[in-house]
Amino acid sequence: MSQTDNNICKDKVFRNIFETYAKDLRNFMFYRTQNMPKADDLMQEAFVKLWDNCNRVNIDKVKSYLFTTANNLFLNQVKHEKVVRNYENQVQNRSNVETPEFIAIEKEFMDKIQRTIESLPKKQREVFVMSRIEKKKYKEISELLEISVKAVEKRMHRALITIREEIGDV
Amino acid sequence: MKNKDLNNDTFLAKWLEGEITDNDLKSKVGEKEFQVYAKIKKSLEIKEQLDLPVGDSFQSIKSKLKPKKQKVISLYVTRIASIAAILLIAFGLLKFFGNSDTKISTEFGQQQTIVLLDGSEVVLNSKSELAYNEESWNENRTLFLDGEAYFKVAKGRTFTVETTNGSVQVLGTEFNVNSTKDYFDVVCYEGKVEVEAKDEKAQILTPQKSFRRINGLNPTLKNIEDIAPSWINGETTFRSTPLYVVLISLEKQYGLEIEAESVDLSKQFTGAFPNNDLETALKIVFTPLNIDYEILDKSNIKLKNSK
Repeated sequence: MSQTDNNICKDKVFRNIFETYAKDLRNFMFYRTQNMPKADDLMQEAFVKLWDNCNRVNIDKVKSYLFTTANNLFLNQVKHEKVVRNYENQVQNRSNVETPEFIAIEKEFMDKIQRTIESLPKKQREVFVMSRIEKKKYKEISELLEISVKAVEKRMHRALITIREEIGDV
Repeated sequence: MKNKDLNNDTFLAKWLEGEITDNDLKSKVGEKEFQVYAKIKKSLEIKEQLDLPVGDSFQSIKSKLKPKKQKVISLYVTRIASIAAILLIAFGLLKFFGNSDTKISTEFGQQQTIVLLDGSEVVLNSKSELAYNEESWNENRTLFLDGEAYFKVAKGRTFTVETTNGSVQVLGTEFNVNSTKDYFDVVCYEGKVEVEAKDEKAQILTPQKSFRRINGLNPTLKNIEDIAPSWINGETTFRSTPLYVVLISLEKQYGLEIEAESVDLSKQFTGAFPNNDLETALKIVFTPLNIDYEILDKSNIKLKNSK
């Protein structure tokens, strides 16, 4: 490998690094933040920092640099939000404001869902993928498969029960 | 449990499509099971987002990357510069995450008109971002801008545009703000505008006056003749503007990547390029500056000095 392939300051090398790690980093930050736009922003800021420090980061350490940087940015943000929240509580008592129930999605849960979808019986999976992944309406699915809407709904319903059973205790 | 009955039903399918409510489902399966189903539903939505590619993100970080200079710069300067960059990012993060609820951004070549709660109008130029807090808008008319926008402000309380380069304050007027990296340009078209660049004293702009600061140097005040920014009408105009600012604008407008390692980015350009004709735009910008351009593919352009 020539010297230039290791130089992160080179546009091509930088872009390559982006293509290799951006998605993993964004998804990793999603599990930390539980918020996709935030995860995307943190990922981007980490890459901007990498660019600013491209002379000082070793290409072998680039992955851990990116993940650590994004994580630190996130922690700083949390710290800042805490300060803001404390301040707001002092200024006016907002404790009576109701927050909607928040459901956190962990990586383990997501992996389980993924595996379960893959192992659904064929008929259920077919309908499930068309509805949830391809975003088709039950009516469209019923036309494509030449079955009734009711039959589509039954398969979908059963798919969900299968997933629920596979998930086990939460 | 009458599992067979449950299996032959369809209510879960209906709930997923929003045909029955969360409460309906709760009354059928109980609170505890509902929580599990709600989590499954949410994770399906998330799964879709996790599978999305990040291609667009690269374009948006590209505009934040400082071009690497070819010259050798002492370590001391790079260190100061990187500290400044980090501060800038931190400041930006604070502004964007700290206070804002509503964020609007445009893609390459896009423009968007936004009507704010008080009737003020903002026209956002391509690849720019605007953020403001809807809740506190009535008490505090402040918004954050990264990029370029034209404002028609409804009369009322003070209206503030914050950018990483400084802030602009008005009472009711028409003005244009372009804040990209270390380029800060404000033009007043009607009324009065107060510009406060970072670490500078506030200055009042009257109609047809422009304020500009490049690279944190001393700001300049100039007279202009336009009655509205030209980009509103499909053109982008520059007055003695450094080439790198023009390149950023071209990149934003046409979704390009311009390789300009071998040309002098501090050359100044005066003129206007159309926003819908790439060939003409390139000719207009580069011919007078004696720069040859090579279209590598649809979105990649390489520059070099003419012989």
